[in-house]
Amino acid sequence: MTTTSVTNTEQYNYDVIRKFAIMTLVWGVVGMLVGVYIASELAFPVLNFDIPYITFGRLRPVHTGAVIFGFGGSALFATSYYIVQRTCQARLFSSGLASFTFWGWQSIIVLAALGDVMGYTQGREYAEMEWPIDLLIEVVWVAYLVLFVGTLMKRKQPHIYVANWFFVAFILATALLHTFNNLAVPVSLFSMKSYSLFAGAQDAMTQWWYGHNAVGFFLTAAFLGMMYYFVPKQAGRPVYSYRLSVLHFWAIIFLYMWAGAHHLHWTAIPDWTSTLAATFSIMLLLPSWGGMVNGILTLSGAWDKMRTDPVIRFLIVALSFYGMSTFEGPVMSLKDVNALSHYTDWTIGHVHSGALGWVAMVTFGSFYHMVPKLWNTKMFSNRLINIHFWLATIGILLYITAMWISGIMQGLMWRAFDDFGNLQYAFIESVAAAHNLYIMRAIGGLFFLSGMVLMCYNMYKTIKSGTTEQA
Amino acid sequence: MSQDNKKVTVETTGHVWDDDLQELNNPLPRWWIWGFYITFTFALVYWLFYPAWPIGHTYTKGVSGLNNVTYVATKVDGTQETKTTHWNMRSKLMVEMNELKAEQKPFFDKVASKSFEDVSKDPELMQFVNSAGKTLFSDNCAPCHQAGGQGKIKFAPNLTDDHWQYGGTYENIETTIIAGRNGMMPAFKAILSDAELTQVSQYVLSLSGEPHNAAAAKLGDAIFHGDKAGCYACHGADAKGNIAMGSANLTDKIWLWPDVIGAKTPEAKLTEVKTLIYGGMNKGVMPVWSTRLKPEQIKLLTVYVHDSLGGGK
Repeated sequence: MTTTSVTNTEQYNYDVIRKFAIMTLVWGVVGMLVGVYIASELAFPVLNFDIPYITFGRLRPVHTGAVIFGFGGSALFATSYYIVQRTCQARLFSSGLASFTFWGWQSIIVLAALGDVMGYTQGREYAEMEWPIDLLIEVVWVAYLVLFVGTLMKRKQPHIYVANWFFVAFILATALLHTFNNLAVPVSLFSMKSYSLFAGAQDAMTQWWYGHNAVGFFLTAAFLGMMYYFVPKQAGRPVYSYRLSVLHFWAIIFLYMWAGAHHLHWTAIPDWTSTLAATFSIMLLLPSWGGMVNGILTLSGAWDKMRTDPVIRFLIVALSFYGMSTFEGPVMSLKDVNALSHYTDWTIGHVHSGALGWVAMVTFGSFYHMVPKLWNTKMFSNRLINIHFWLATIGILLYITAMWISGIMQGLMWRAFDDFGNLQYAFIESVAAAHNLYIMRAIGGLFFLSGMVLMCYNMYKTIKSGTTEQA
Repeated sequence: MSQDNKKVTVETTGHVWDDDLQELNNPLPRWWIWGFYITFTFALVYWLFYPAWPIGHTYTKGVSGLNNVTYVATKVDGTQETKTTHWNMRSKLMVEMNELKAEQKPFFDKVASKSFEDVSKDPELMQFVNSAGKTLFSDNCAPCHQAGGQGKIKFAPNLTDDHWQYGGTYENIETTIIAGRNGMMPAFKAILSDAELTQVSQYVLSLSGEPHNAAAAKLGDAIFHGDKAGCYACHGADAKGNIAMGSANLTDKIWLWPDVIGAKTPEAKLTEVKTLIYGGMNKGVMPVWSTRLKPEQIKLLTVYVHDSLGGGK
């Protein structure tokens, strides 16, 4: 009991952040390991050993769930709790609620993975979890919202720091997306199976309104929040432009919501939907870049840190990949480019340049800054951070290069006709042609995973040398 | 708003968070704001070319005449009509499909009008058959019969050898593709004793010169030709099978359901054959293709399978 009362009088609730931070690392390794495994299954299908539980179809949502919600989600809980407390100079207003979000969120990830492996799925990308898990997510997410906003309201500073705008937007939008995308009717009270409330094209559009904005708010806005705290902190420089942050924040919030249907070009959706989605995606380019510009220019006057500080290197390279994939996205959303890129590995490459290059890299950088502070110590080894940086960068480059080549190759093969007007290639020929590139992609993933494992070792040594007593 | 080249000291917003977090109030970079305008302009122009904004039950269709698509539509009654519409996905698809169909048509017409033999003798037409046949075969047949029609043991017959369970003439092959096949063999576990099953299996192995027990095979011969099991009724008294019902020729070294060739030891070969006779087999299903492919496509596939893949000539 004495321990508890001591914890409660501390300025900040770091306990829940430490837990989330550790689980971020765990889910990172698990999710990326599964990713490498399914990438290898695509290159060598024999690796599924005819065991249904480990076939690509079931492990793929385990991979996406573990990296997006396990790794990414835990990282966002950790950093948002860290940032909101420090920038508001206020302790999370309820330790019980904080603890609930931790245990709730972790059980969601585990249950979701179990459900995927057992074959329970709604068949909705990034929302495979069946209705009982969806309800649990709803409850945990509302607790997160209450805790975050409740803490913001306790702030000692009249102005809300920019990072927190992004976090609030992310929490609200995710609640909205999750709720509407998962409106479904269970077959019975004791059945895991449910049917969506929407049908046909509407169902597809709801799914991609969710899917695209999950990328927009979960993987973009929220991680921009992370960036807006850790880049200026690590660089020791003020954020470049307040004005830019206001403008690009509202532009992103407004424009993102319209773009989801670009995932459904050339399908049974109305033409006008498709056009609006494409044009709003194009208009999203500069607002997205606003975050990159603001982050990179924050470093002006401290460029030498790119050479000397591996943490800054992580953050700045993350912003560069962010800039690259937010350029690539709008280009791919144009009808004619999409006719080539859709259903090919180009999409997979695009998603991973964002996921590995931006989301994971900015998380790595932020964690190398935050974790030693949580345990009142310094990073065990700067050299290992540097090696991690290179492993990760090489891994991403191998990955996305392989996917660009195989994606464009697939797109060209599928649309090739010979002089007689016959399709020039059978589908299977495009599969065979991608084989070596799939191996290259798996090797890229292996590089990235080994960097992640190295980070865990570095973090383990760091945490062991630290203390949880707040100074 | 403009950012001069003169060195200006930019002020912060005056707020400080977490000891040292501050924000400068730099103006928007000029290239950024211009980029923003350009993408907006791009979107506006795009809206003039394509259907874009919903209005009640209809939607804007782009500026009239700016991005029209003209195509020929075939109506239900077979008559054709030339249509011009604003840009839309369906009309675009129609244009491209019509173009490709027009390229294919003279060749498909020739295939349809000529006899199998005449198609086979026309080198130019055979170029078309091989080009279209390769893709048709790979996309529709290869999932079971494998790439190049090499087949898969215990699953789908090899189409490149000289053995045709249902006959290898053009007409036989076409019938197989059009109507599908349903290959089965009854189970004999209730009819024959274990000893008898072994004996008849030994006999079957002896037919194609596989290692066998001659004494047992002799007993098996009697069972094969006897009325209790009645094997001969389907496989024929000479055990050479019957293409009318697709019963296997047991005298050649070609096996589909028992993996006699793959089994290394005489015991394993015996087990393969005996297991099949014991439990029977009802997996010899070739689907019906007349509902999925057009008659001229099936005819073309027939020539492709017969001439380019298979033996059985």
